[in-house]
Amino acid sequence: MKIWGLPAPRLSYLRVSLGLVALAFAGLMLADMQISVQHPGDELRRLLSGFLRPDFLAISVSALIRTVAFAVLGVGLGGSVGFLFSIVFARSRIVRITCAFLRSIHELFWALLLMQITGLSPLTGVLAIALPYAGVFGKVFAELNEEADLSALRVLPSGTSTLSAYFYARLPVLAKPFADYTLYRLECGLRSTLVLGFIGLPTIGFDLDSYFKQGDYAQAGALLMSFYALIATRRLWARPLTVPFLLVGSFFSLPAGLNGGSAMANLARFFGHDIVPAPLRHGNLSSLSPWMDTAGWLWRIGKGQILPGLIHTLVLSQIALVAMALMSLVLFPWVCLRFAGPLGRPLGRALLVVARSTPEYMLAYVLLMVFGPSMLPAILALTLHNGAVVGYLMGRQADALVFRQDAPSRRLDLYFYEVLPRLYGQFLAYILYRWEIILRESAIFGILGVTTLGYYVDAAISDLKLDVAFVLLLATAALSMTVDFGSRWLRAQLRIQDFPRRLSQERIAPHLEKAQFSWKA
Amino acid sequence: MGKVIGALAIMASLLQAPAFAAQAPVFVFTAIPDQDETRLNERFSKVADYLHEKLGIAVKYVPVKSYPAAVTAFVNGQVQLAWFGGVTGVQARARVPGSMAIAQGAEDDHFKSYLIANASTGLKPAADIPTSIAGKTLAFGARTSTSGSVMPEYYLRKAFGDRAPDKVFSRVGFTGDHSQTIQAVQSGAYQLGFVDYSVWDLDRKAGKVDDKKVSVIWETPPFPDYQWTVRGDADATFGAGFTTKLTQTLLAITDKDILGRFGRSKFIPATNAQYAPVEAVAKAAGLLE
Amino acid sequence: MAKANAAPMTAKVHETARAHMAIAVHEPKVGYGEKLILENLAFTIESGERVAILGRSGAGKSTLLNLIYAKCAPQAALVPQAHALVRTLSVFHNVYMGQLDRHSTWRNLRTLIVPNAVQKAEVEAILSLVGLSEFLFTPTGALSGGQQQRVSVARALYSQRPILVADEPISALDQSQGDRLLTALRQSCDTLVIALHDVRLALAHATRIIALDKGMVWLDAPANTLQWHDLAPLYETSA
Repeated sequence: MKIWGLPAPRLSYLRVSLGLVALAFAGLMLADMQISVQHPGDELRRLLSGFLRPDFLAISVSALIRTVAFAVLGVGLGGSVGFLFSIVFARSRIVRITCAFLRSIHELFWALLLMQITGLSPLTGVLAIALPYAGVFGKVFAELNEEADLSALRVLPSGTSTLSAYFYARLPVLAKPFADYTLYRLECGLRSTLVLGFIGLPTIGFDLDSYFKQGDYAQAGALLMSFYALIATRRLWARPLTVPFLLVGSFFSLPAGLNGGSAMANLARFFGHDIVPAPLRHGNLSSLSPWMDTAGWLWRIGKGQILPGLIHTLVLSQIALVAMALMSLVLFPWVCLRFAGPLGRPLGRALLVVARSTPEYMLAYVLLMVFGPSMLPAILALTLHNGAVVGYLMGRQADALVFRQDAPSRRLDLYFYEVLPRLYGQFLAYILYRWEIILRESAIFGILGVTTLGYYVDAAISDLKLDVAFVLLLATAALSMTVDFGSRWLRAQLRIQDFPRRLSQERIAPHLEKAQFSWKA
Repeated sequence: MGKVIGALAIMASLLQAPAFAAQAPVFVFTAIPDQDETRLNERFSKVADYLHEKLGIAVKYVPVKSYPAAVTAFVNGQVQLAWFGGVTGVQARARVPGSMAIAQGAEDDHFKSYLIANASTGLKPAADIPTSIAGKTLAFGARTSTSGSVMPEYYLRKAFGDRAPDKVFSRVGFTGDHSQTIQAVQSGAYQLGFVDYSVWDLDRKAGKVDDKKVSVIWETPPFPDYQWTVRGDADATFGAGFTTKLTQTLLAITDKDILGRFGRSKFIPATNAQYAPVEAVAKAAGLLE
Repeated sequence: MAKANAAPMTAKVHETARAHMAIAVHEPKVGYGEKLILENLAFTIESGERVAILGRSGAGKSTLLNLIYAKCAPQAALVPQAHALVRTLSVFHNVYMGQLDRHSTWRNLRTLIVPNAVQKAEVEAILSLVGLSEFLFTPTGALSGGQQQRVSVARALYSQRPILVADEPISALDQSQGDRLLTALRQSCDTLVIALHDVRLALAHATRIIALDKGMVWLDAPANTLQWHDLAPLYETSA
């Protein structure tokens, strides 16, 4: 293969790793990192002492219930639509593009957009989760579909109807992975609803935002603990059997919507006026000038907002990607039996579970108060959260390794000679898989003041320039889709395409019988 | 088959349940979240109780998390009344034909912002905007806050030859609300900040300001700010003469507790025209079409 | 209604199938993508023949069976080497899958939830042939390897095709079980094409032996002309 007439460099684990690190170093040159708060220790001490004396009376049970309700309904709706998408995913390019688009925009951005149409109503919260999740579900269900052992499907008598084939040979095989994945996504849904609270959804995130802002750390600590308890007990209350009750109960737990205002009128205004580029709104569309003005308008957005936003988003996500990769390499031995021992491992696991249950957005928000404004809080938040996620996965993989009898006995030798080399491909797969996620999250941190794309989206929405916000969101979506594509391309080049999609899943073996049988006459 | 229809009927009734629950005609209002939320909740639930008592209708205060969310709720018609700042009020009224500014605090006609500085800057109070602030880090409040961002930027541009703040200062950020700005300057996260003078007073009274770490170094010339704005269709929903009655009720607030929570001495009548200066500044800043 | 139709329809499939049923295998080259597996195939399997395919592992038996199945798929049932069962479904449903094409989709969906008595009786009869009648509603994943293999065979039998193409259908059974199963297959199907590793059973049940070696047909002869030792070289390590 050649690129621009030159032989393309052969990709190896080492080259890809070094490339990523080199890009991160280049990013560090451009990154804005500093601690401006005079005594960051003071705030941190107040934070910790508050957390150590949690005020459990601050926990609002109804907000806790609503947190579950929004997550259940959002994930339920997203899962159902994603399921329908997955059926035609392989055949329909339109569905594939729709899924990629839906998931390329973060739920916070969806919420800000939907607020313009559905206003302060429960529907805004449910849809903000359901839309991006439908895109994720569509893709993942389609992949599960592709990877499942469908040998039974191939021996069905020819002439079996599509529907019969689906219900006999496909659904029974897929039902369990689908259900497991959906229930796992519920955990992500809980994190999403928490974060949506920071912009106004009446979940515990709403109160958390206030308590953090006001420095009421004892109250914030109690709320966070209730959230961790919710996540830790998910397997107890979210089971296939409880799902119908959860759905119905959630529906009735939603806050009543506000009267007044018509969603249809808002929808018409949104598409007919708000997101129409300003130069096109009043001009005579048959003449050239409004179109020229629009081109100039787009150029100004591109130069003044998209370009700087894009650069900062890429810089932030690249540094965070490498930092979280290193973090996970440090963390995973703490959840691996061989390294942490039978006493250390549960402790390590508890710490990592707390770290990964803490939404990046909230973490960055808190760190911003501790360290002051710069890219540093965002980098730290992404590093901690994603490092914990990948570290946890790596620890599980490391526990599954079988060592030869005479494997090195010293831990560092074992780590560098056995464990790391054997898990490295898997490790890269995780890193590349998290790339898109980190990028989406980086864009979001703009709302907190880091000048990524989200900064300009937030500004445009504040100024009620939804046309500008819409163009910026399209640019954000294009960027995540590009990174998604790049990550998949790299994984394909490195032949590391199978990875677990959720934390407790076993590795899926590449399917053996995929090669199509053929004969040449 | 009967079972299926039964199930569908139940589903249909489920989907409508929240809609029915919201059928009662409730008068809903909101406010821009310009300071600590606990204080706003106390303040506006008092107002809700007062309006309920005087108007004899169900009244509900809906807190929101951002200035644009308050404007959007008003534009969408989900709230009929809002306590807006100068700029958000102008933004909202431009989008809802017939909406009116009906009341403001006696102080809001000649409102002002404070420029506050961290003690480490060594800056001292001055009558004119000190040019030595250039190159430092500066915090605004919310982007569309009149006293926290829009008017301060206007005065800064006047003082610094119309250069954009991010060209004058080494870092410019938006904290979200005035209480946050005070905390950010106090901690040193930013060296300077612009705050609403009434929130500064309220936060000092609440013991949240450490005078050794942060102080006022300059105050802006006066400009019109906060006001109650009502939608033009309120009479259609709540009966003829409702807007007049609402205005009188707001102007009649004498309860010291309520007024104290606003940091206002009393409420006086307001008109849309009063906000023309703010409107001109907002237009120039590209916040209005 | 559907049930009344089922029997005559089955018979009809048999009739039309019988009429043109020779399977002509004339392929100079067979393989997956670039990889060549078999060469110079030129033989025909007539209706009513019972063909045993022999050869060491890797000789191309599975490829040949897949090829034969692809050529006569609508009239043939397949017992693949990997049992190709839906492990989460019961034995009954896995066997019932052999006849999904004979019934309406609506009925198939209903059977997925509540099978009727007739279907149960039919499937149970087939299961008794392979010695599994007591496992009617056991999840297939809970069965042993040998039992799963027999479920796979039962599914092929239940589909009632005139041709059965089976890849090592008795590999996990002992000799007497295997013998019984082959007898059952002979009784249910007109034409059998079976890959076997047990030469004694092959000679006992087949009418024709096709042996593969190194990607070619090494031997193709009527079974009654062959002795056990004629086939011995096929399995010698030096061969």
